[in-house]
Amino acid sequence: MIVKVNKEEVRIFKGATAKHAILRYILKKKMEVSALDEMKVFDSQGHKIGDDAPLKEGQSITFKI
Amino acid sequence: MKKCLSIIAAALMVLGGTGKALSQNIRASYKTDINIVSVNDVHAAIENMPKMAAIVDSLRAIDKDLLVISAGDNRTGNPINDISEDASYPMVALMNQIGFLCSTFGNHEFDSGQEGLARNINESNFPYICANIFADEELGIHTVPYQFYYVKGVKICILGVVEAEFNGIPSTHPNNVKGMKFEQVEETIRKFLYLRNECDVFILLSHIGYDEDVKMAEKFPEFDLIIGGHSHTQIDGGEVHNGVLITQNENKLKKLTHTVLVVENGKVTGKSATNINVKNYPKTSVAAKCLVDYFSDNPEFKRVLAQAEAPFSSYEELGIMMCDALKDFSGADIAYCNAGGVRYEDHPAGDFTVNDVLRLDPFGNTAVVVNVTGKELHDMLIACKSVDDHGFPFSSGMSCEVTYTDKNRSGIKELKLFGPDGKPLNLNKKYKVIANSYAIITSDIPGDDQGEDLSIGTADVLMKYLEKMKKVNYQGRKCLKENF
Repeated sequence: MIVKVNKEEVRIFKGATAKHAILRYILKKKMEVSALDEMKVFDSQGHKIGDDAPLKEGQSITFKI
Repeated sequence: MKKCLSIIAAALMVLGGTGKALSQNIRASYKTDINIVSVNDVHAAIENMPKMAAIVDSLRAIDKDLLVISAGDNRTGNPINDISEDASYPMVALMNQIGFLCSTFGNHEFDSGQEGLARNINESNFPYICANIFADEELGIHTVPYQFYYVKGVKICILGVVEAEFNGIPSTHPNNVKGMKFEQVEETIRKFLYLRNECDVFILLSHIGYDEDVKMAEKFPEFDLIIGGHSHTQIDGGEVHNGVLITQNENKLKKLTHTVLVVENGKVTGKSATNINVKNYPKTSVAAKCLVDYFSDNPEFKRVLAQAEAPFSSYEELGIMMCDALKDFSGADIAYCNAGGVRYEDHPAGDFTVNDVLRLDPFGNTAVVVNVTGKELHDMLIACKSVDDHGFPFSSGMSCEVTYTDKNRSGIKELKLFGPDGKPLNLNKKYKVIANSYAIITSDIPGDDQGEDLSIGTADVLMKYLEKMKKVNYQGRKCLKENF
């Protein structure tokens, strides 16, 4: 399925969580994987969500370190 | 007067139990507050339950009629709870002790299969409210679609629903919900809207995610409150959409919501919600802490799953066993796992216990299946290795010959894949491949099929495999030839 992380599309498996999508984004951007330990994740309306939050096709999330 | 009405209401409760027998038009004719504590997606964070219990004790000291409610996914996320011999009993016991009024199902309530769920329901001192599930009678999954409660003379109706977005079922392994059917949430709610006229307070207890909660609020202003779960959304207090108050918290019981509904002459005239930080709460319930300590000292961790007939003496031998387990579980052609996913490199001959598996595979990864060509798999393995300093992935159902650019394994010059018959893998053929979720994400799958989560932890898969095999021997097994 395709979701958006920080406004960029990433392709991930069906049933993936926010953490999976962000890891994919981090690898795509060649960022340090250790960023995962410090991140805060938000939904498209700015609510904080857990990093284990399940994702749906087309969902948008953002994360901040 | 208020006290007098409370006594009458209490008497009605005694006479009518949960009030189903008294469904005639009883309406509160005075002003009162209904206090609700709600949690969602606790995911077996039993370490926070003693603090939650202390919060509930404090609020009950102010309002003995406090309602404590869960919006589902009580379990899955903590081996102490999930691999207990009676899976998820620790959470059920703690919820019983705290005195939960009810819970709806989350998708993870189904993770122990039909028998496990039926057992958990029977062990619970509270009902599971879910209107869009239809289970075959012989499964013994006893639920109610809605429930009436009489509190301080106020008639409250709670309607429960669970998400069913995963091919028409909740997000769990399909085998876990065989014999059950799930109706679409909106359709179910429409059928039960008549309940609005039979109560003073109408609550939707949902495990469908924040976005869906908002949609339901926009479509059904009949609800006074939606207590939500599933998307792990941290709502600050509560949000009002179309007049409906929506609450939800992040997962793992970091926070809970305290909602106050003001009811006057049979109508909700005020509503507010605040979060209480559970994790940082300064008090702990001693009784709940005793239960958590009891469950944490779990002999289940020492349970022997299989006998290792010979010692394991490399990451590769243990990695092949983990891949064999994945392949055996799924019927896939090929399984692989990232080298860093194998956390120790030797194991003596003799007992292989639950604790050994949890040390070997501690990350909570899940199993993911994907259909890819041999060429795509070739590229995925190179991508997976490129972000793993521990080495090249281990596999089952194939072997690999990798030639590195240098002795530090920093680059790959050539990779050859071979089938179980020793012949080169057909690069154009499609294979069903299974791997752990981390390996799949780091493999940068090139094709359209990005795979599907099987909703089972890879550690669980290995435990099942070891129990099935009873004896294992991986001495000298190889899946990888490395050239420099």
